[in-house]
Amino acid sequence: MTIGPFLFGAPWALAALAALPLLWWLMRATPPPPQRAQFPPTRLLMGLHTDEQSRERAPWWLVLFRALAAALMIVAFARPSLTPTATAQAQGGRTLIIIDDGWTSAPNWSEVRTAATATIAQAERSGAPIFLLTTAPTIPARDPGEALTAGDAKSRIARLEPKPWRPDRADAARRLAQTQARFDHIVWISDGLDGPGAHALEQVLQQRGPVTVRIPAHTGRAIVSGAVTPQGIEARVRRAPNGEPLAAIAAETADGRALGAAEVRFGPTELTTGARIQLPPEIAARAARVRIVGEQSAGAVHLLPAGSGRPFVGLIDPGGVGQPLVSELYYADRALQPYASLQRGGVGELIDARAQALILPDASPISPLDRAALARWIDAGGLLIRFAGPRLANNNDDLLPVRLRPGSRALGSALAWETPLAVAPFPADSPFSGITPPADVRIRQQILAEPASIEQAHVWATLSDHSPLVTARQRGHGLIVLFHVSAGPDWSDLPLSGLFVEMLRRTLAFTARDAGAGERAISGGPYVAQRVLDGFGALAPPPPDLQAVAPERFALAQPSPATPPGLYERAGVSAAIDAARNDETLTPLTLPPGMTRAGLDAHIERPLAGWFFGAAALMLAFDLFIALFLLGRLPRFARASTAALLLAGVLFTPDVRAQTRDDPTLVIRLAYVRTGDVRVDRTSASGLEALTQVLVNRTAVEPGPPIGVDLARDNLAAYPFLYWAAPSSPQRLSDAALANLDHYLAIGGLLLVDTRDAGRTANAGARPAQLMLAGVDVPPLALVNSEHVVARAFYLMRSFPGRYASPRLWAETASAASARDGVASLFVGDGDWASAWAGEGGIDDRQREMALRFGVNMVMVALTGNYKSDQVHVQTLLERLGEQSR
Amino acid sequence: MTDAARLDALALAGDLPGVLLDARRLAAAAPGFHGRRRAGQGEAFWQYRDYRPEDGARLVDWRRSARGDRYYVREREREAAQTAWFWVDPSPGFDWSSDPKRTTKLRRARTIALALAVLLTRGGERVGAIGSPPRTGPRGPDRLALDFLTPARDDAPPKSCVIFLSDFYEPIETWRARISAAASAGATGALVMIADPAEEDFPFQGRTLFREPGSHREALIGRAENAREDYAARLETHRRDVHELGAKLSFPSLLHRTDHAAGPTLALLIALVSERFA
Repeated sequence: MTIGPFLFGAPWALAALAALPLLWWLMRATPPPPQRAQFPPTRLLMGLHTDEQSRERAPWWLVLFRALAAALMIVAFARPSLTPTATAQAQGGRTLIIIDDGWTSAPNWSEVRTAATATIAQAERSGAPIFLLTTAPTIPARDPGEALTAGDAKSRIARLEPKPWRPDRADAARRLAQTQARFDHIVWISDGLDGPGAHALEQVLQQRGPVTVRIPAHTGRAIVSGAVTPQGIEARVRRAPNGEPLAAIAAETADGRALGAAEVRFGPTELTTGARIQLPPEIAARAARVRIVGEQSAGAVHLLPAGSGRPFVGLIDPGGVGQPLVSELYYADRALQPYASLQRGGVGELIDARAQALILPDASPISPLDRAALARWIDAGGLLIRFAGPRLANNNDDLLPVRLRPGSRALGSALAWETPLAVAPFPADSPFSGITPPADVRIRQQILAEPASIEQAHVWATLSDHSPLVTARQRGHGLIVLFHVSAGPDWSDLPLSGLFVEMLRRTLAFTARDAGAGERAISGGPYVAQRVLDGFGALAPPPPDLQAVAPERFALAQPSPATPPGLYERAGVSAAIDAARNDETLTPLTLPPGMTRAGLDAHIERPLAGWFFGAAALMLAFDLFIALFLLGRLPRFARASTAALLLAGVLFTPDVRAQTRDDPTLVIRLAYVRTGDVRVDRTSASGLEALTQVLVNRTAVEPGPPIGVDLARDNLAAYPFLYWAAPSSPQRLSDAALANLDHYLAIGGLLLVDTRDAGRTANAGARPAQLMLAGVDVPPLALVNSEHVVARAFYLMRSFPGRYASPRLWAETASAASARDGVASLFVGDGDWASAWAGEGGIDDRQREMALRFGVNMVMVALTGNYKSDQVHVQTLLERLGEQSR
Repeated sequence: MTDAARLDALALAGDLPGVLLDARRLAAAAPGFHGRRRAGQGEAFWQYRDYRPEDGARLVDWRRSARGDRYYVREREREAAQTAWFWVDPSPGFDWSSDPKRTTKLRRARTIALALAVLLTRGGERVGAIGSPPRTGPRGPDRLALDFLTPARDDAPPKSCVIFLSDFYEPIETWRARISAAASAGATGALVMIADPAEEDFPFQGRTLFREPGSHREALIGRAENAREDYAARLETHRRDVHELGAKLSFPSLLHRTDHAAGPTLALLIALVSERFA
């Protein structure tokens, strides 16, 4: 039901509006409760006759407000929606809807569908039949003469998808001409682009009734060509003059991962422009397609088929600088340049760069190490293409499809009977099948295989005397292909001919794009669709009834239902039919006078129920405030709500500390080595805790709680001071721990090793420090005296008491630590300081205080280095400065 | 009263120390009372006069007489201590203020009463809350403040000065009975009508349910703003009745609003009662 521009989904709910007067009466009859007031002279008010008392009611504006809220709620329940054009264009009668459902409409497909649905909805109101005509060819073609009900038409529109080819309007005009029907209203939902047959269709349409053409604001764009070049991926993008001038293109892998993107910017009048996605060759080789980002259409996708695409091929460089035209690799390089990403280098280097195929010319020497790596690589699925030559003729190896006879066979030389031979037509089971060898290619010298070994290999090409020219054999998952001639022109004309390019290209189809490269059937035949594009540019498995395409028709195939755009494969070679051809024309549709032109975007029903509900809810919420205001409680409530808001603000303030909690570098922490001796570790922990407390109380250093570290596993770099007490039975460190500790000392950490055995008689051979530090790169140590920086870093100290009153302390000598400006990294002592810091071991307070002072000094040295010993010279420095200024 | 008990009482009194402080501050600015200006029994020095033969030698002020050739007798001012009794309205409606920031009527009443007590005790008079013994001396007002906490009674002692501090909203019959009882016992005094500004101005609007504090008395007024004039007329009539009643029984009345300063009211009150103590 429509009322004005509003359409109601549940109009019966509007009947509830009749109940509004009742609501009005109810609210008028029940006044709001009175405000209350304490008032001592109430006695004086008793019996005071105020005649308004009985007539007191809710104020009229409040009743009106509430009635309005209720009315809004009722209207919302009626599910209103706004259809501003419904009345403006309510043209009933027999309606013909023509839809251009080619890929050119795909970017605007939702608008197309909405426009079609809206047109159907208009026609539905008059109850007249609806006719549907789609212009893109389908098999079988739809008959526009079929009258549809609105429901059928809607479900057809819902199922209608854009096709991955352009509309054929000539055919549509022909189909329409076959029916003699006239229409009261024709709506052509066009893609906005001209094309063959558009004029014919316009003529037919004008004979049949008034035509409205719906044209999108921005027509579709297309990638008309794309190629992988050594610099990356290049694509050309075309637009109609009203196509959007900015776009981005992206290269994707076969499974849809983006490899890179580039911006496309059309000049004001430019209709075709190029863009390049900069990619290194080995990455570019993985690109399977280029698409216009955000444009969902088959034309916005250009496929880069795998076989003819850009495998990453390594050329094993013989080294040295040669003349380009006689260099062996020069010809392979030139032949493969358009089809593969090439890189020269050594075997190991190329395998590491993940080359998919390697070309090994005869001149390149292979070391035994390289040979093993090469064999492994082939077993894993690599493709090795070898060329014969003088070296191979005399040195057989095992990376060959056949066993070779030593020496080579020269044809047509002065001493030979035979004349140079031509290439025989390729056998049907060869990947080269379908190529016609040119008659003028002559082979002058070749290398021969042992006849017995030929049986085990595939012969891909032969000479006219049936001696093999190209042989191949699987090895593991990989494939070895041997050209029995040299890669240069000195043995044959082959490298100079187009045949060489074609043969190499088809050989590269066996590159290891997946692990099963070697398992592919080596055969020719028709092109079989592997994946086809849908109208939106997504790849899907081909429909089961799709016919294979004969090779001779494939090159000329236009996107059509019989040859849908997509990826095809023949003899292991992938090829593609693209939705947008190189010569794709994108020009705007011109309309003859008499056709109404309209945009595509207007006719949208806007559901309003949400807005109505929202407004009603807001009004009811506001009504609460009004009620409170009438009760006279608003100010207090307002204060309470302010408090509640503040409280909520406090409660929901995100805890910023949570983000920084796990980073050990943000807080200095004293660390001790977890030795595995529970008692020692506990003493170390509590000792360092006490020291931390003293540091916090007395110095600017405010460390976090101390932490135990595992030398073998933890990253020590975050801890400036590491205390290592000797366990009761010291163990030798593991290799990982040794490396970690060496690194820690090298980067300037401070390690205090405490053997805890001062005063005990040293029995030779059982020194804990020796065991603890065995394997550590211990620098030369010297006894620490009162001149050392440790003795004056914070407190001035003469001795360094721990649990023992006068322990010995050694430190890395300044000369050994010269890399760190003389700051010692390693201190070794026997004072059992952690016990003293923790207050264990029955020492008096003074000794504990001195031990803590020593700890403070140690931490100061760890943090400030020899800053304090530099301070000794301040006086001198100041005097010198004074002298200079004077 | 031990000190501990006194502290307890002060704690009970809540803001009584504050009231006392207010009262002393008020009294400091008030005109105060003068003495009897007659020689008689008393403590304060009044005058020297020449020795007369009928005076005993004991009466001669030898210190003064030694400075001259004549004998002097030291006369003291006559002291006949009167008692001022205070009756402060105990009803819950009196301990009420329309605005939490404004002082309640009760507190203002106590402030005025204690200020007067300060002045009176300084003049040697006695003060008391009805139902408690009279207090005198510099500590008198303190004790009076504590006495205010005990429930007041209506029976005033005879021939005394009774000062009623109330809002006088009780029916006129009640007041007639109360004041007549005091007057028939020979008492005179003053009526201090203390009113909250809300009671004077009646600033209410809209449908309002009025309720008397501490009672179930309620009045629902449909449009309070329309009832303002009727209320003002009734209040005026009631006040006039109270005033005429007081004037007839020589209890002059005066009106004080809690949003006004207490000083003028105190001065007026002193003027009203000073003839009793002159």
